[in-house]
Amino acid sequence: MKKSFVLILGFALALTAAPFVEKSHAMDKVSLGIAISQTGRYAEPAGRMVNSYKLYVDQVNAGKGWNGKKIDFILLDDKSDKQTSIKLYEKLITQDKVNLTIGPYSSGITDAVANVLERYKYPTMAPGASSGIIWKKGRKYLFNIIAIAQDYQKGAIHIARDIGVKKIAIVGEDSLFPRQSAEGAVEWAKKLGLEVVLNENYPRKQTDFTALLQKIKARRAEALISNSYFADAAAQIRQLRELNINLKIFAGTVGPGLPKFAKQLGDTAEYVLGFSQWEPKPAILKRPGMKEFIAAYKKRYGVNPNYHAGQSYASLQIFGDAVAKAGSADRDKVWKALRTMKTTTVIGPWKVDDTNLNQHEGLTFQILNGERKIVWPKKISEVPYKLPMPNWKERGKN
Amino acid sequence: MQEKAEIRSKYWLALFLVAAYTVPFGIGIYTDNVFFDLQWLADLTTVILNGIMQGGVYAMFAVGLTLIFGVMRIINVAHGELVMLGAYLTWMFFFYVGIDPLLALFLTLPIAFVIGVLIQKLLLNAVVGGPELTPLLITFGLGLTIIHIVEAIFTTDYRTIPYAPDALQISESINIGRSKIISFVMASFISISVFFFLKIHRIGKAIRATAQNADVAMVCGINIFHIYMITSGLAAALAVAGGALVSIQFGFNPETGVLYTLQAFAIIVLGGRGHYIGALIGGVMLAVIESLISFMIPNGTAMVEIASYGMMVFVLLIRPRGLMGPKEN
Repeated sequence: MKKSFVLILGFALALTAAPFVEKSHAMDKVSLGIAISQTGRYAEPAGRMVNSYKLYVDQVNAGKGWNGKKIDFILLDDKSDKQTSIKLYEKLITQDKVNLTIGPYSSGITDAVANVLERYKYPTMAPGASSGIIWKKGRKYLFNIIAIAQDYQKGAIHIARDIGVKKIAIVGEDSLFPRQSAEGAVEWAKKLGLEVVLNENYPRKQTDFTALLQKIKARRAEALISNSYFADAAAQIRQLRELNINLKIFAGTVGPGLPKFAKQLGDTAEYVLGFSQWEPKPAILKRPGMKEFIAAYKKRYGVNPNYHAGQSYASLQIFGDAVAKAGSADRDKVWKALRTMKTTTVIGPWKVDDTNLNQHEGLTFQILNGERKIVWPKKISEVPYKLPMPNWKERGKN
Repeated sequence: MQEKAEIRSKYWLALFLVAAYTVPFGIGIYTDNVFFDLQWLADLTTVILNGIMQGGVYAMFAVGLTLIFGVMRIINVAHGELVMLGAYLTWMFFFYVGIDPLLALFLTLPIAFVIGVLIQKLLLNAVVGGPELTPLLITFGLGLTIIHIVEAIFTTDYRTIPYAPDALQISESINIGRSKIISFVMASFISISVFFFLKIHRIGKAIRATAQNADVAMVCGINIFHIYMITSGLAAALAVAGGALVSIQFGFNPETGVLYTLQAFAIIVLGGRGHYIGALIGGVMLAVIESLISFMIPNGTAMVEIASYGMMVFVLLIRPRGLMGPKEN
């Protein structure tokens, strides 16, 4: 009995030790490691990013590679969980000994693993994180690509000023990303001389906004800046209609960007503003390589890439350029290249400042006839915005 | 002596409730959230009316929870999950079959009754009358199982049913959503029907008898296991009806049920555990105070939960029977 126990124990030990055995990566390859949500609540957006990574790696490997070396892409699943993600990045770095790493999806998980990446000095692209606070902690190795949450409402507030709105209300879910988006909205309102008559949070899972909206009305706000996700944004615009509260502007963040927003809400969703990092509209955005990327993505996955897909593809383009500039995948050299270089991706130009922030400019769109149309910044707008929103009574009944 | 303590606790509760309703106004005045003009009064009226409408729906599924507790002394923590299930059933009938959410009640309620009976037969019958912890754990497990099954089928995406989106104008500046009014009317109708069923019908009387004293009921020739099944079925039907009415007003996903369980708890504690009318009144009272807090206190919406569960704790401290609950022995 005892003997068999010792045997089993020994066997188990051998099993756990196996991964520690040095895994030698062939010298003619650059290994690229990532842990990202393939299951759990982030699986949907993260899945689009994985699509792009696979597409890019296959394209590069079929061509000249990075400095003539093929990419060895190591993909792990963090199950949308912070702790799992930390463990997996430790594993990628200490056991798999990858050359370079890409960040996970979501600001929260990125913020958590960034500490690991700093400790091991791994230059990492972070296309899955948009909270500016991540880059306010003196980190050197994490590189931003997309517009930070503080700038999500920049367009909406500019538009509000342009149509003569004086008083705005800012509301948002009580969690990291919406709070930062709200913080930025307050800043922009201050800069543009708009009065914030109400700035409040609500708990996650809040479904009834009746009293809050009535309060906004009582404060005589003309525009509602809603730092929300899908469910709350949808509930708010719906309840504005139920209460017959007529505002000039309703601006969400990520909610209105989802196709189901317009689909599930019907004509209630019309005239709503939303934010996007990028749209697959090459004729308007005119980024180099954009058309080819969109075509290749669509051919392989059957759908147009959304901004998640665009920004993750861009992050590998940047890595590719950095490796080329550094002359090898040596982490120190790649890091130096990333800090100083200037390049252009499918989503736009890229160059970081001292805090590793790239000044990517997102765009504001409006839902018109059920479609998202870019309305801001002006230089890339598809159509002029139709604002102020018409009164609910004047809208067609459905 | 006991009589005196009883009366005293009643006064304390009344005093507490008056204070609870006054506080939002006080803070509102102090923080300039109260304006003394007609427009603001209209806004306040809208908020209170909406609270009452909301409360009617909450009350209906809280009544289901109170029924089960009254008859079997079981706290069904999976009750909110049945509400959520009701929302999904209605959603399915609406999007796949194209049935109006209210007409769908004719289909969902019988299904719910069967689900309730099955839960009783397979799970609760085994534990009723035993230690109080076992049914609590069983229903807790059941709730989690339902959440994960629904999640596996429908994912965690939020869904909503676009139904009667417009406002009903009551006066120049008082508007209430049509879907809210429809929900309130339906909820009141169902709650009152069930009330009269319990008062007048033979089976209803048997349910009440079992709630008062199961042993005596049994001696009088009532098959209490039969009664348990009907009670469970009825409670499930009330929850699913609540879900249907919630689904036409709000978004929902598999996890929203938890919120409704908690809400139902707060309501039946306030109204008195096991008391039918108490739950109805408690539902409306809770929804109204939530609305007032959200409307008048700065960042009030974020404090609504603190307030409603804080209120639950206070009521338990001051007067555990709540507004109308039976005396504890």
